[in-house]
Amino acid sequence: MMPSLQRRLLVVATLVVAGFLGITGLILDQAFRGSLERAQEDRLQGYLYTLLTAADLRDDRLAVPGELPEAGFHTVGSGLYARILDRRGSVSWQSDSLTGVRFDTGEHLEPGERRFRTVDTGEEELYLLTYGLFWEEPDAGSGEFTLYVAETTEPRMHQLAAYRTSLWGWLAAAAVALLVTQALVLRWGLKPLRRVATDLGAMENGQKSALDGHYPREIRGLTESLNQLIRSERERTTRYRNSLADLAHSLKTPLAVLRSTLEADSGRRIPPEAMEQIERIHATVNYQLGRAAAAGGGGRFGESISVRPVAERILNSVPRTRHAGPPEIRLDCGSDLRFPGPEGDLMEILGNLVDNACKWCDTRVELAARVIGKESHRLLELTVDDDGPGVPETQRERILKRGGRADESRPGHGIGLAIVRELVESYHGEVHVETSAFGGARFRIRLPLR
Amino acid sequence: MRILVIEDEAALARQLEHRLKSESFVVDLAEDGPTGLHLARDYPVDLAIVDLGLPGLSGLELIQQLRAEGSRLPILILTARGSWQDRVAGLEAGADDYLPKPFRMEELLARMNALLRRMGGWAHPVLQAGPVALDTRTRSVTLHDRPLELTAYEYRLLEYLLHRPGTVVSKTELSEHLYPDDADRDSNVIEVFIRRLRQKLDPDGTLNPIETLRGRGYCLRLEVPGS
Repeated sequence: MMPSLQRRLLVVATLVVAGFLGITGLILDQAFRGSLERAQEDRLQGYLYTLLTAADLRDDRLAVPGELPEAGFHTVGSGLYARILDRRGSVSWQSDSLTGVRFDTGEHLEPGERRFRTVDTGEEELYLLTYGLFWEEPDAGSGEFTLYVAETTEPRMHQLAAYRTSLWGWLAAAAVALLVTQALVLRWGLKPLRRVATDLGAMENGQKSALDGHYPREIRGLTESLNQLIRSERERTTRYRNSLADLAHSLKTPLAVLRSTLEADSGRRIPPEAMEQIERIHATVNYQLGRAAAAGGGGRFGESISVRPVAERILNSVPRTRHAGPPEIRLDCGSDLRFPGPEGDLMEILGNLVDNACKWCDTRVELAARVIGKESHRLLELTVDDDGPGVPETQRERILKRGGRADESRPGHGIGLAIVRELVESYHGEVHVETSAFGGARFRIRLPLR
Repeated sequence: MRILVIEDEAALARQLEHRLKSESFVVDLAEDGPTGLHLARDYPVDLAIVDLGLPGLSGLELIQQLRAEGSRLPILILTARGSWQDRVAGLEAGADDYLPKPFRMEELLARMNALLRRMGGWAHPVLQAGPVALDTRTRSVTLHDRPLELTAYEYRLLEYLLHRPGTVVSKTELSEHLYPDDADRDSNVIEVFIRRLRQKLDPDGTLNPIETLRGRGYCLRLEVPGS
């Protein structure tokens, strides 16, 4: 199944936000780290100047005698170190803090050369500023020296870690806020589409006859085309049914004349073939045109009708014409049941079944309607029961076929039940003939509800 | 019995008239709605056969109008519109029965007889009054379970009286319902038929089935079950 529009957009938005905020975070992290290092370099430079200010050349050794303002230089393992190497690489001087600390320095820089880097001593990580210088004192001589100032990275790393925690924390919060906003915007933005879907659902259920809401300009074209399509489909079906009815009408009257002409003169012998052919034409007109009307049906889009009023009208009308007087009739039908098609189709189904039941029943007829099945596959079940002789097992298939009458002695052309079957099948439903709880026949119809 | 046929298809109307007359019904024909309505209102009709697609005034409107005026005339719709929707609409408009075209003449007659019978308050197709039994299905009469030979007019006369047991039926009413307008309506003819019917129903003069009320008419004096 295709993911919903909302889900698609949300997935893309999430990816974009994540990528964008991730890159932003990396850049900010990088920038902060750079600025930390530059600050550290400046700091080391400051220490270097302090050292140089206090330095003193004696016996070709450059040393920093006396107390330095930074107590770190005098505390063993404080993390702040300084060392001066002469041109040959021997230690000219080193800070007290370096006592017992492993600190490898071998590199010699030319005077004026300067290098800042991070080194790992194996015990700790240090920022190291190396500076080459030429020292000259008027009465003490001169020499080339390399000065090392180093400080542990630990406090800076702490700073960086704290910064990172807060940076990514805020970025994550921003991402969540953005995504929530995005979801809300999407929800709101896609609302008209959802409304179209709901309205279409309402049309399918027959609660609406057209998409009549106010829709945004972008989808108005779509809804108007849909309305147009549904309208023209309805008109087409109506025209089709009307022309079928007209055709049936214009065939039946001449047929009636023909038949009664043949019947009228009872003195003359009527060739049985002639009557038979008329019967055949009659049956064909009734059945084929009824069937064609049914095949054009199957329920037009968005058409449905409440079952109960139609059932009541059928039960009030049909049995009145029964010669033996109206039977006892029970109707069991909820008022909220709907038939997924036009009134005419439901009347045709119920009319034929009830008429059939009234024809065969002794005294009782029952019409029941209910919805069965689960939410996704709901069926409308219609049953018509009578207490007549019932339909033998072997006849059950046959009576639903055209011209398949079980008993030739009762009036009828054996078309009604076949039309019921055609109609029901046009709704993708089924007709079954069973034995009724009160002994006679039961016709059970199941139609899928949309 | 006087039947009004409202049918615009001339050939069918003529055939109906012919057949109904041969069944000794009196037939009035109307080719359009307004004429049909006028005849149904102002003529002593016992039953109307109405087509739905009529010029001037549709069959449905005609029936609705008659019923709105309080008419209880039995009405049978005879139409090419065979759908149940049309049937229900017709019956709801006030028709008593509905027969789609093309139809068998025998079925039409059976339904007409059933309607007439129900109008007379008879539930069963055999009208039983004392020793007289009239079977509307076979149009045969028995007296003390023995078949009785009646002419078509005698049969119609007996049937008409049986539909109104215990009621006084005037000579005019009888001639209106049993004779067409253009026929020679001599009330003596009625007297002749009544006399013949009496002789056939009561050959020994012991039953006195039809009482004559001087200046008022005739009354069937036979015991009808359930009335």
